[in-house]
Amino acid sequence: MKPAPFRYARPSTLAQAIALLGEARGEGKVLAGGQSLVPMMNMRLVRPAVLVDVTHLRELTGIAPTGDGGLRIGAMTRHAALMASPLVRERTPLLAEAARHVGHAAIRNQGTLGGSLAHADPAAELPAALVALDARVEVTGPGGERLVRAEELFRGLMATALAPEEILTAVDVPAAPGGWGFVEMARRPGDFALAGIVVVLGRPLPSPPLGGEGGRVVGFGVGDRPLRLRGAERELAGGGIDAEAAARAGAAAARDCDPPSDVHASAEYRRHLAGVLTERALLQAGVRRAGG
Amino acid sequence: MTTSGVPPSERLTVRLRVNGRPVEHAVQARRSLADFLREDLGLTGTHVGCEHGVCGACTVLVDGRSARSCLLFAAQLDGRAVTTIEGLTPAEALSPLQESFRLCHAMQCGFCTPGMIVTATELLADQPAPSTEAIREAIAGNLCMCTGYVNIVRAIERAVAARSQDARR
Amino acid sequence: MPDGAWVGRPVPLKEDARLVAGRGRFVDDLGRPRMLQAAMLRSPHAHARIVAIDTREAEALPGVFAVLTGVEAAARSGPIRPLIPTTAVVPDYCLAVDRARYVGEPVAAVAAVDRAIAEDALERIRVEYEPLPAVVDPEAAIRPDAPLLYPELGTNVVWHDTLTYGAVDEAMARADGVLRERFTIQRYASTPLETFGVIADYDPGTDTFEFWTNDQRPGLTISVLAASLGVPQSRVRLSCPDIGGGFGNKRRPAYLLICALLARRSGRPVKWVEDRIENLTALMHACNGIMDVELAYRADGTLLALSVRDIADEGKNLVTPTQHNLIKLGNIANGYRIPAVRYAAWSVLTNKCPSGANRGIGKPFMCFAVERAMALLARRLGQDPVELRLRNYVTAEQMPYTTPPGARYDSGDYPATLRRALERFGYAERRAEQAAARRSDDRPLLGIGIASSVEPAGTNLASYEIVTGRRAASGSAEAAMVRVEPDGQVRVSLGDPPSGQGYETVLAQIVADELGLSPDAVTVSRGFDSTTTPWLYLSGNYSNKFSVTDVGAVVGAAARVRDKLLRIAAHRLEAAIADLELGGGAVAVRGAPDRRLAFAEIARTAYADVLGLPPGEEPGLEARHAHQNPLAQPVDGERRVRSQLVFSNAAHCCLVEIDRRTGLVKILKYLVVHDCGRELNPLIVEGMVHGATAHGIGAALLEEFRYDAQGQLLTSTFVDYLKPTSVDVPIVDVDRLEHPSPVTPLGAKGVGEGGAIPGPAAVANAVEDALAHLGVVVRSLPITPEQIWRWTR
Repeated sequence: MKPAPFRYARPSTLAQAIALLGEARGEGKVLAGGQSLVPMMNMRLVRPAVLVDVTHLRELTGIAPTGDGGLRIGAMTRHAALMASPLVRERTPLLAEAARHVGHAAIRNQGTLGGSLAHADPAAELPAALVALDARVEVTGPGGERLVRAEELFRGLMATALAPEEILTAVDVPAAPGGWGFVEMARRPGDFALAGIVVVLGRPLPSPPLGGEGGRVVGFGVGDRPLRLRGAERELAGGGIDAEAAARAGAAAARDCDPPSDVHASAEYRRHLAGVLTERALLQAGVRRAGG
Repeated sequence: MTTSGVPPSERLTVRLRVNGRPVEHAVQARRSLADFLREDLGLTGTHVGCEHGVCGACTVLVDGRSARSCLLFAAQLDGRAVTTIEGLTPAEALSPLQESFRLCHAMQCGFCTPGMIVTATELLADQPAPSTEAIREAIAGNLCMCTGYVNIVRAIERAVAARSQDARR
Repeated sequence: MPDGAWVGRPVPLKEDARLVAGRGRFVDDLGRPRMLQAAMLRSPHAHARIVAIDTREAEALPGVFAVLTGVEAAARSGPIRPLIPTTAVVPDYCLAVDRARYVGEPVAAVAAVDRAIAEDALERIRVEYEPLPAVVDPEAAIRPDAPLLYPELGTNVVWHDTLTYGAVDEAMARADGVLRERFTIQRYASTPLETFGVIADYDPGTDTFEFWTNDQRPGLTISVLAASLGVPQSRVRLSCPDIGGGFGNKRRPAYLLICALLARRSGRPVKWVEDRIENLTALMHACNGIMDVELAYRADGTLLALSVRDIADEGKNLVTPTQHNLIKLGNIANGYRIPAVRYAAWSVLTNKCPSGANRGIGKPFMCFAVERAMALLARRLGQDPVELRLRNYVTAEQMPYTTPPGARYDSGDYPATLRRALERFGYAERRAEQAAARRSDDRPLLGIGIASSVEPAGTNLASYEIVTGRRAASGSAEAAMVRVEPDGQVRVSLGDPPSGQGYETVLAQIVADELGLSPDAVTVSRGFDSTTTPWLYLSGNYSNKFSVTDVGAVVGAAARVRDKLLRIAAHRLEAAIADLELGGGAVAVRGAPDRRLAFAEIARTAYADVLGLPPGEEPGLEARHAHQNPLAQPVDGERRVRSQLVFSNAAHCCLVEIDRRTGLVKILKYLVVHDCGRELNPLIVEGMVHGATAHGIGAALLEEFRYDAQGQLLTSTFVDYLKPTSVDVPIVDVDRLEHPSPVTPLGAKGVGEGGAIPGPAAVANAVEDALAHLGVVVRSLPITPEQIWRWTR
């Protein structure tokens, strides 16, 4: 299973990389971790004319604290680095947990945050986590930099808002001071999830709890992109999450999602999982927020 | 008209370290690291089982971290250090981990074994005393069709125990 | 049975030392000068006429040296001889000629300087297909209006027959009840981690073809190759290096023929190694099937009769159809006394991957059906499933016992095996845990599954006569050579190439005992080489025959060498043979250690100083011996036959935990108690049990080749076809009984397939047990979390 022929370019600056993608006129692909791209190339499902190797670009590296308690994470950050980084574990531990579910060690050592986002598999963990965190994605193209909200980055099945000559360069992740929950269901550890739910809770609102945004509930594997499950979100009040609220949220999540059917699971079953996992993720988040 | 980058039929020179030795070689862009190691360098201990990153037979260390050599192009490895099963095998005899595998009969056909050894090497470097569950999880990305994994887990446990015994001495 | 110094000991394996260092030599590690690499163009249609193939653009691609189409292959080679020559005789060439009959069937092949260019060339071959209706479901394939894979046959049914042993209808009529169930099983395969591959070379000077391959049945394959290539077998050389797992899957002469033709055309050696998608799509799948079971019983649970309708879906297979049917027939009674048996079989072609030998071939399904029926019968009668089994087992006192179709159980204590398993499993405690878990809504459900099975070893090819109506090959035999080299070291060679079973060590143990040596002084030649390894048509790695047939060949050859050592030593030492003994690599006069000759010294006489030989003694110090398993017999007048020859047995106990809401199954505890007679090397034996059990777990919970209605395979990568990982297989607890076989050379029985046979039934019984209070009945495999959710919502 050998890939179709391609030209290989290794730019030494980000500007060069962008220029190469521009020249390739839509036939170019960024090579970062390659853990999603290369299997598809080996199977000749994807046949870029040019591979632009960005693995050496310094501009894409680094995990740095930002003023508001969040982090700026370079696109080339490997999943393993997310898991190991003390900054991530302290400020956005949800990302470390999401990364832990990606494949196995060898995949995590090579796979990158930017790659996972650009690949936009709707069953992937990190895109959903970033939508739940309301992260902003830094995209750089010939015209300069722009920021895209995570939930606007994902446009559909394996499709993003990136233009062919743009490169995802970094992710700005705000602090998540409330609790968070992460639950997925896969047939075997490291497999793509049949369905998964990420919950990020806002700070507790002053009582009595009124409407408004109490948090985000995002599903993966339950739509053609990471899906905000707004019916479930409406159940999140500022107070504690009890079993009834979690159950109502789960039922709403099951109603709101639009999962695919494939060889691994039917839409109906995924819908059911969305409900169960939402309950479980909410309860998990509630425990974390309460300090447990 | 795309003119930049190395054309597919041409070769580029890659300079890397393999098992501690400097290697300089001309490769086509689409040459996988696995095929490069096996065919260009004759290091046939690394095996190919799926070419889509799932089975783990091709696992090597890149800069000390495990990686699927079927998902890397040799050209990407410029400036990097690769360690294969040959690099983890002492010139005389076997490493303690390998000896543990041998004594526990942690292989049958031997095809998954080099990848298993690489993964186990990384595990033992990262975790001094992994539990049985941690071991089972760590090798879950290396498929074995022969052993049912039981003896492999036992071999790694034995290596952990032997290492902590050595440390105490 | 005399106790040897080495046989029976858990000696660490010699081959493990090189394997753990990555120093194995597998076929893809080998090369030849100027070697080309091949790639196969495969049909994208499940069924289509091949109207035209244009290879000109492919041939013009730089780096391409030969392109082969089916039409050319049919002109330059003969059809492939089937292993089981049914009446469905249709020429079947190494490439599809005028029709493609499954997605992935090779229709053309390219040899180029490397695999990548060969694949580029495939994309330049233009094939005009005329798609035809495909038939994917075996029951649909039997119907008279079904699309036919071979219109000239007029049917897709390669074989249909009903074999009745005993008064089945009367027993059904007299019975207090008849349990009727339909069971189905999916397509799956053992998928060794190393894929199938070959290097073929042609020498025009001697008109000889040479092959290096991981084919598991060299004896058979050489015969097929020679016939197709039109050369005598003496001009076909085939050797096997280390084989990275086989389980029966690695056998497809078509690929060797394709590479041979490419080699002859290009004038260069040609290597082809299957990639994983090719392997999963087009090498072989175990038959999926449908089994209708009728089990007649008395009110107290005594079994009276078993009637089975079995439809085996062979895909496109004219080479080994009915193999699964025959094996099921031979094992139909499992470990039970069932006085009357009927087996109505269909072997059906469909537009899917060819079926083939897999670990257990058909026995996992047969055992699943019988053990599931037993579990359901126990529930129906309100009996404990343990009691029901104990009531019906063939007992040790009844051995040897012959089942109605003719299988002869030689030894074993099935009740004791089950009792030991339950005791070690803590059956009563597990039942209590289960009850407690069921009472609480929060806790996962627990289920306990029991399954027992016989495990046969050695296949008697005469059994094929039931299908073919005539005897071609028959019996079970293997050949071996033992040689004391001129330097006194010992070498062994066996016609059966190992694929991970440790033969290099076990054979060294056996010969070490025979000749009074340490196993370190015995080298077992790696693999197979037809010019030096003794072999028969029947030679090869199949059907669990090593312990029951192959060892006889080695013991016999070693005994001959032993006798010759003694004769030469007696002559040189001027002593009587009766006064001599072997030990430490020498022959000495008992009680007079100074009157001693090391093997090297005896070898010097035998090979160099031949005037020193006893009168009439031939020079040399080697012996060949072929052993025929004496249990094999032809089919008798009642169509009974020993299709498999020696029987191990096992009991499996399994504890599963099921998440009530997601249906996810986790195996908490798995215990096997097995009896494979004398264990030649307990380390190897235990590994076999672990590994085979993992195959059973995979079939029960994870693995399935799924096709859509058009015959497209939906699970063609390891992302979609799920193999069990180290998290899916628990630490399997293994205990043993040892009832040696009275009929094998060393008292050993087979152990290579065991766990794969009752494993699916044990897991299925456990899942059903967990969900029994919800009225769930498990009738099919695999059991997925979604399936459990559907059953329980």
